[in-house]
Amino acid sequence: MTGAAAKPPVLQLDGIVSGYDGLDVLKGISLTVHAGEFVTVVGPNGHGKSTLLKTISGLVPLRGGQISIDGQRLSGKPHETAMLGVAHVPQGDMLFAQMSVLENLLMGAYLAPDKAVIARRLDEVYALLPKLADRRNQIASSLSGGERRMVGIGRGLMMGGRILLIDEPSLGLAPLIIDQVYGVISQLSRAGRTILLVEENPARVEDLADRLHLLDDGAIVWSGKPAELMARDELLATYLGG
Amino acid sequence: MTDVLMAILVAGFTSGALYALATVGLSLVWGSMGMLNMAHAAMLTLGGYVAFTVITSLGLPIALGFAGAIVAGAVAGAILYFAIVRNLLKNDKSTFEANVMIATVGIGIALENAILLTYGGQPLKQPVSIAGTFRLGPLTLPWQNLMIIAVVVVMMVVVSLALGRTRMGRAIRATAQNRDAAQLMGVAVNRVYLQVLMLSGALAGICGVMVSSMTQLSPPLGNDPMLKAFIMCVVAGLGNLPGAVAAALGLALLESFVQYALGARWGFPSLLFVVIAVLIWRPSGLFGRAEIRRM
Repeated sequence: MTGAAAKPPVLQLDGIVSGYDGLDVLKGISLTVHAGEFVTVVGPNGHGKSTLLKTISGLVPLRGGQISIDGQRLSGKPHETAMLGVAHVPQGDMLFAQMSVLENLLMGAYLAPDKAVIARRLDEVYALLPKLADRRNQIASSLSGGERRMVGIGRGLMMGGRILLIDEPSLGLAPLIIDQVYGVISQLSRAGRTILLVEENPARVEDLADRLHLLDDGAIVWSGKPAELMARDELLATYLGG
Repeated sequence: MTDVLMAILVAGFTSGALYALATVGLSLVWGSMGMLNMAHAAMLTLGGYVAFTVITSLGLPIALGFAGAIVAGAVAGAILYFAIVRNLLKNDKSTFEANVMIATVGIGIALENAILLTYGGQPLKQPVSIAGTFRLGPLTLPWQNLMIIAVVVVMMVVVSLALGRTRMGRAIRATAQNRDAAQLMGVAVNRVYLQVLMLSGALAGICGVMVSSMTQLSPPLGNDPMLKAFIMCVVAGLGNLPGAVAAALGLALLESFVQYALGARWGFPSLLFVVIAVLIWRPSGLFGRAEIRRM
């Protein structure tokens, strides 16, 4: 990803504040993600990682600051954010449980302009995730955790967005399945996809991410290369429990 | 004996078809919006009166009477969305279910009274009717019942295709299953809610024409079918469309058999016994999901 940072940012957050009820969870976060970059936000549970992605995609209302995609300020409405190219793969997958795998994937292409584009994206997803082709007629609620995660990623890819937001892809999966999921994410990154991923365990993204931000209590407390963080034992011990 | 059995079956299937039409409209709105539309009965009545006006007062063909009922129901659904639902959705989501139920009770009463003021309280004859019978082997079947069953089957196929094969249908099903995920895919859920209320209103309009063709037009026309539709929704499991159709047909047949065997006055209580039993043993309904996703 050399030189990626020289390109204009796809995603720009300027001092964003958001939260639930009377509580601010995010307390002025600023970061940028450039085209083709793989940026990761790591941090302990309950410190705002998922809220960050939900705020970008509009599921959690923005209370302060601003969010821009390719320089265009977001309205805060989720469907309009999706139209601007934000593809969110949420935590827990949030699949359409009573729909088949294929229908879930087609919902990802809900905004696609025509059938040719949908067919091309479907071919790409099946090439990357061949198991989904085998399972295309299976109802989503009957899938295993790893398969559900793959459908979630596939559905995000079907959106054909400018940036992929991925929320804790390893959550609740067996180690072998986690490796498979990160293998797919690695392929996406190598193919030039722009990715913002949140994760609790920085070791998972050490070899993948171009840049890494450490989130604590709703604020970014450290930014740098993943390898730099992994070499800082005091940071790992303080914020991530070693 | 065969004649009696066939008469019960024909009556049961006709009632079941009508109940299914009313039930699907209610269930569609509940399943996708978490909204119990208490104005559904009045929308059903409106459809019957609009068809009557188009055919009798304007002298237009019966087909346009049906079209008028569909349009009137859809417009009533749109007005319900813009006047009530959209505004309630801007408020606290946790109070939406209760607020919208109370608001639609008011809308239903207002609409029923508007119909009373416009047309009066005297029962009117719905001109959408086909006299006569036809013979099928040893059986004699009324054309009217056959017409009702045929219209309902056509409407069910149309709804099924609309929900299963169209982009709008996929958006409705997606919103019903996971509202947040649907929004992330680019679905404008408020537009989906408008579409659902219009579709439900159109079904209510057609149902009103069919029900009044079997009875007579009067302002409280929709109350009885809606009450039974609620029972069938609960028995099926709120929000489950195929289950709603199955429950409507099954309970209508039961009602017909009970009315024949024990007397007409036991028909409705038999439905209540069933709903009580279902609520005790399967609170989420015979076909219902254990957990229904709400607003």
